[in-house]
Amino acid sequence: MKLTTTVIGAYPKIGDGLEAQELRRALHRHDRGEIGDADLGKVYDEVTRAAIGEIEAAGVDVTNDGQIRWDDLLSPFARAWSGVQPGPLERFYDNNTYFRQPVIDGRIETDGRSLVRDFSFAQGIAKTKLKAAIPGPLTFATLAARDEQYRSLDERVLAIADAARKEIAGLKAAGATMIDIEDPAVVASPKHIDLAREAYGHFADPDLALTLVTYFFPPDAVLESLASFPVAAIAIDVRSRDTTAFDRLDAFRTQQVLLGVVDARNTRLETADEVARYAERALKLVPQERLVLATTTSLEYLPRDVARKKLGVLVEGARLVSGEKVVA
Amino acid sequence: MSDNVLLTTTVGSFGKPEYLTKARGQAARRKLGATELEELERKATAEWIRRQEDIGLDVLVDGEMYRGDMVAYFAERLEGFKIGGLVRSYGNRYYHKPVIAGRVSRPKPMTVSWFEYAQSLTSKPVKGMLTGPYTLLDWSYNEAYPTRRDAVLALAEIVRDEARDLERAGAKYIQIDEPAIHARPEEIGIAIEAMGIVTAGLSAKTISHICYGDFAAIYPQVLDLPVDQLDLAMANYGYRWLDLFDRNPFTKELAIGIVDVHAHETETVEVAAAGIRRGLRYVSAEKLWPHPDCGLKTRTVEECVEKCVAVVEATKLVRKELAKVPA
Repeated sequence: MKLTTTVIGAYPKIGDGLEAQELRRALHRHDRGEIGDADLGKVYDEVTRAAIGEIEAAGVDVTNDGQIRWDDLLSPFARAWSGVQPGPLERFYDNNTYFRQPVIDGRIETDGRSLVRDFSFAQGIAKTKLKAAIPGPLTFATLAARDEQYRSLDERVLAIADAARKEIAGLKAAGATMIDIEDPAVVASPKHIDLAREAYGHFADPDLALTLVTYFFPPDAVLESLASFPVAAIAIDVRSRDTTAFDRLDAFRTQQVLLGVVDARNTRLETADEVARYAERALKLVPQERLVLATTTSLEYLPRDVARKKLGVLVEGARLVSGEKVVA
Repeated sequence: MSDNVLLTTTVGSFGKPEYLTKARGQAARRKLGATELEELERKATAEWIRRQEDIGLDVLVDGEMYRGDMVAYFAERLEGFKIGGLVRSYGNRYYHKPVIAGRVSRPKPMTVSWFEYAQSLTSKPVKGMLTGPYTLLDWSYNEAYPTRRDAVLALAEIVRDEARDLERAGAKYIQIDEPAIHARPEEIGIAIEAMGIVTAGLSAKTISHICYGDFAAIYPQVLDLPVDQLDLAMANYGYRWLDLFDRNPFTKELAIGIVDVHAHETETVEVAAAGIRRGLRYVSAEKLWPHPDCGLKTRTVEECVEKCVAVVEATKLVRKELAKVPA
């Protein structure tokens, strides 16, 4: 049986060659007023098409749209939702990559269609299974710079969970069946695990394959608790830091485990054997039909040519485990 | 109250004049030679030394007209590093993130001639400016060393050699920036161990700049960082890090950021002065150094000047207030 592979988060928007930097040029021209929103939108679409094409060409089974229009995980929603604005810049967890901290200045509201246009566009391109993604409520809430609306973290998290529920419903109506909830705060701030679980109860949907995606930090402090979240799958990063997760994966009795085995934050290229060895360790406690191999996080932390090579070893490693012939 | 209290300074970088930005672009496209570019970098450095003197700053910097990025500049000059592909830092900003591809070594000093040139232009002290070993590692890809600690300690020896060369060249102040120090709070011990290697035996005043991250996560452990002065972004954070000093008193000199470097608008003198007064609740005037939150390289030359003027004028105001207070 074949071992499934997938990507997480954002794909690099530009490459090193000048021909791969059209988006960078278009954004500069847009800033100078030389092109309008429509022309910039066309470039975004083309780069999205290229990103999906590269992910699929590598042989990855479940793709996403590469989040090409996203400046960071939170800004698309801080812009689209009422009651929130993108605020000051800050480093995103332990990365030298910045994000805009949300500033909450009113009741958070959304029509739930923030991603529908982009998802529908990607659906028209993807030949493989396509998944969508939204930020997790605990991550959005704990990374807010200010909150003038909600009286406590609990209230804020649950309000964001309600907005997430609408986004999920909007994506479902547009045909999405798989949605990643990127929520690194669940492992970065394990003390809020019960609050996070309550929030997931606000948007749980047995008809959808929702994945709670964690990264950067090991799940060690909360691993057994993650198994009780109302989601179909849990993604964990087993490369960024030491972890005991490999010995405890049997905690996940029904959920899929997306194992982040290819390090999306270091250029050192894994071998297919190395990827296969991680998978084999996990297979001691998780049956093959519930194991998915993934990158640890967004490949956008890497130069594009390295990202492409990383996808190659991910797929090659999965095929080694499956006993498939690897085409060089 | 003398002018020797509340000494003013800046964090290191200034905005580059248009002619230099243009020249750097031309040099990158190989349409301008290295000698011609360096001439313009020296011209811009001299202009910034003059501006700092005119503004009335006390301890000067060379302005880093010859650097693009605080890690890549060193990576380009060290053996063992290679320059990686483009990665995005935010929005439409990209940088070449360095790769540690082999054992690192320093073929020759990297900043000393710029320090000597800048110091030759002024009788005021100029700081020697280095990037710390923990940040050099954290902002690079490590393909070569088995652990992060191994890489940091190897880099510490390189930064130590550069710091000693700066001291031999006459630097009385050596700043070793560690803006990444809170990236992984569990590794603060590694950063402290590495800084111990860098600063051991130096008689110059040592400073470390820390910015944009969760300072609370490394406080009070960061007080063990073996430097004389910590240089912190404060204005951008509404001075909330000062609250940490209530529970665990701050024990070093504090360079306090009193103007936000990411905002185009300059704070009023009164707003900046209020920041100094807040700092004085925790650190004596002899140990408090007003300055902007961070390097000013993302601002225009004019904005840089305005921000520095706000720092100096605010400091004068507070010095006057202190002079009126009976001892």
